[in-house]
Amino acid sequence: MQADTARYLASRLVTTALIVFGAMLLLFTLSSIVPGDPAAILLGPQATPEYSKRMISEMGLDQPIHIRLWRFFANVASGNLGIDIVSGRPVWGMITAVLPYTIVLTFSAIFLAVITGIPLGIFAATHRGSVMDSILAFISVAFIAVPGFVIAIFLLLIFAIWLNWLPVLGTSRSGDWLDEFRRMILPTVALSLGWVGFIARLVRTSMLEVMGENYIRTSRAYGLSERLITYKYALKNACIPTITILGLGIGRLLGGAVLIEIVFARPGLGRLIYDAISERNYPVVQGAVLVVVVVFVLVNLMVDLSYSAIDPRIRHGSSGGGAA
Amino acid sequence: MADPVALASPLVRIRDLKLEAATQRGTAHILRGVSLDIGRGRILGVVGESGSGKSSLASCLLRLLPANMTRLEGSMVFDGTDLVQLDEASMTLWRGRRIAMIFQDPMTALNPLFTVSTHLVDVLKRRYPGISRDDARSRARAALTSVGIADPDLRLAAYPHQLSGGMRQRVMIAMALLVEPDLLVADEPTTALDATVEAQIVDLFESLRQKFAGSIVFISHHLGLVAQLCDDLCVMYGGTVVETGPVAEVLARPQHPYTRALLACEIDSDAQGGRLVSIPGEVQDPVAPHVACVFAPRCQHADTRCRAGVPPLQDSGAQRRVACLRHGEIG
Amino acid sequence: MSVLASLMSTLRTVCSTLTGAVGFAIVLVVMVCAIFAPWVATHNPDALDVMNRFAAPSGAHWLGTDHLGRDLFSRMVHGASVAMQIAILAIGMALTLGTTLGILAAYLPARSERFVLILFDVISSFPSLVLALAVVAVLGPSTGIVVVIVAVTLVPHFGRVARSQTLTLKNAPFLEAERILGASWPRLVFFHVLPNILGPLVILASMDIPVVITIEAGLSFLGLGVRPPLASWGTLIQDGYQYISQTWLPVVVSSVALGLATLGFTLFGEALRDAVDPRIGREH
Repeated sequence: MQADTARYLASRLVTTALIVFGAMLLLFTLSSIVPGDPAAILLGPQATPEYSKRMISEMGLDQPIHIRLWRFFANVASGNLGIDIVSGRPVWGMITAVLPYTIVLTFSAIFLAVITGIPLGIFAATHRGSVMDSILAFISVAFIAVPGFVIAIFLLLIFAIWLNWLPVLGTSRSGDWLDEFRRMILPTVALSLGWVGFIARLVRTSMLEVMGENYIRTSRAYGLSERLITYKYALKNACIPTITILGLGIGRLLGGAVLIEIVFARPGLGRLIYDAISERNYPVVQGAVLVVVVVFVLVNLMVDLSYSAIDPRIRHGSSGGGAA
Repeated sequence: MADPVALASPLVRIRDLKLEAATQRGTAHILRGVSLDIGRGRILGVVGESGSGKSSLASCLLRLLPANMTRLEGSMVFDGTDLVQLDEASMTLWRGRRIAMIFQDPMTALNPLFTVSTHLVDVLKRRYPGISRDDARSRARAALTSVGIADPDLRLAAYPHQLSGGMRQRVMIAMALLVEPDLLVADEPTTALDATVEAQIVDLFESLRQKFAGSIVFISHHLGLVAQLCDDLCVMYGGTVVETGPVAEVLARPQHPYTRALLACEIDSDAQGGRLVSIPGEVQDPVAPHVACVFAPRCQHADTRCRAGVPPLQDSGAQRRVACLRHGEIG
Repeated sequence: MSVLASLMSTLRTVCSTLTGAVGFAIVLVVMVCAIFAPWVATHNPDALDVMNRFAAPSGAHWLGTDHLGRDLFSRMVHGASVAMQIAILAIGMALTLGTTLGILAAYLPARSERFVLILFDVISSFPSLVLALAVVAVLGPSTGIVVVIVAVTLVPHFGRVARSQTLTLKNAPFLEAERILGASWPRLVFFHVLPNILGPLVILASMDIPVVITIEAGLSFLGLGVRPPLASWGTLIQDGYQYISQTWLPVVVSSVALGLATLGFTLFGEALRDAVDPRIGREH
């Protein structure tokens, strides 16, 4: 690895660490800034006095603030995200119970968006100016602009309630594969549509830009088929700006997933956080938000790393070869 | 024994080629009726300043024209086929088969995400469908060696950004030679290179004269280069051809005032002091209509006839042509 | 060209495309509803009439009533007002703070500048909704919190553009001339830098309006946004959603309002950007 790449990765890692650190700091601060007894905040109105006592000593809530901060970081580092107030179960266990649902939903949505959005984008680029291109452009904007949960509600109304084609809410009780799958269709589609529009536009713009580049002109000058030029060469070049912007939008996707889980009454991190907020169950909120931030930041890092897989210039740095 | 008559006829006959493009300020006349011949097995040098239309001429030969092009008229008869009349599908067959092009800037002409090997092999597979990968690779390797690249296997696996400018241009030349075209069009192949590298590429072209059997069109703004390399010379100005002929002839006895001025502009390293010669005035705006001699506004010999109508390209000697009404009168 | 004349000509360019015209029309309708809500609305949006819940559309209630008998049309109109107020507040804050930081970053020495840039990076890569949830969990839902959180997430957006615009401008000859003539630093910034970079920033701001509306609506939908009696579209959607099995009209009405508004502002924002300078907002 060249010095450039190493430096680049190092700076990404630093930013990543900073984000996680910042998130933890923020979460800790939130619980401390409210005037009054921190125990009351963290434990909520439901805690019994004995429970409170136990929690206070465990979480070190009666200690001065710098010790509490240290305890907090130490706990998180060792995987202890606290105890759920209501049930007494470890927060970490609660999170891992629902995390798979959220991850499956999010990744399915991304996958669907990618396999739908990229071909649409290519089509729009190769049929630029046509009626289909204009229609696609409008639909893309519509999907991007309209909030995900609104789309979710409409899908729910149309397909589940009016047409009764798909099951309405929640996850499968029977554990049956097919049922589970059918219940996932609407939420996945709802989550992905915004991204379909986004990706289609992105791919279209990138492709059009790339098609005007000199290296594509060279390919044309040698009579290579449009198919080869579009799908082998131009697409790969267009991927780079696409992935850049995609990476920037992951945050939105996570937010969207939370809302969609709630609209479709599915278990997942979103539901967990929401219910915890209603119950004033702060340790759960804190733990779940932390997990979300970490997952999210890791995904971002992976997106960054994927650049070097695609763009050899980043792998090798920009140094040239030998003599003429 | 090849037919001498056939050999004598030009490979490409361009007659009255007109190219127009739509711009914000109106229709630009990029080529205003270009006529020239490209001889078989000969190297034609096309010289002109920026805006003369020489690069557009190259694009026309391949019919790879920009999106805002509105009109292409005239004829380009390549070995019996008029390329202007061909439909796009047929024209595609000619590119990378009978005509190959070397572009000006080798850095942007190669796709940064693909290796040299991929570039060359794809071009070969298209030119010779059915060729095996191994065969393609060995041909590519041989081509790189023939253009003077010392370590072909290393370079084949390299990406464009890992090569120096000169090496990239050698790769482009190798690519063009690989398809064994009848016509090689080199659009300012050395303009983007350093002077020392430029000299090496010029040497490479010199060696091509022996090895390459087809015709070459060498486009440049550098008169000295063209003088060194080419058999025939074509001088362009303002979208028209102002003079053509064998290179030694034209340079020794220039007939068009512009050619003379160009020669005078070439900095003479032996001259002592004196002012740098330059041609007063500016190139005509391409949007302006073509109703008179394009060079007239800057020509010291221009008279009313020159401003009244477009001077045709006429024969003016042994295989020479000039577009000047007064060429015989100017001493 | 005077400011008004150039504004008019920009508007004309925007409306010359179908999408731009549609966007502008929608924006206009929303703004009218927002500004003149008390006059456009037919009823008091908070007037309860429980006997008349889930009424079908009629002459008295153009879009029917919700689960508490409140007129849907009026609530929808006032929702526009809430959305715009929050948008303007949040974007105003973000614009001010972001521009300040951006201009500062352009003039600061390299290390401080890098710090600001990393700060931008960190903030902008944060999932804003999740962050909002965390804050709300502790501090309880409130309109103010929504505004602040949205503003904070938008700061890097404006900050980066302000910085790059200032950097470009920094070396402009006229600024040099002013400096030589003795103009003080604050004067330079306020009278010379700011007016020149404001253009792209304003375009960016208009493109952010739908983003703000969406985040706020999402939070209100969860019940974690604006507090009653203030009712944003998100609140209306939640209200309708709860009774979706009984009647679909309330949820559809509020969803359409939200969807149309965000669509309209997006179309308008993009047409505006294309009319002025298509390159704005593409920097990353």
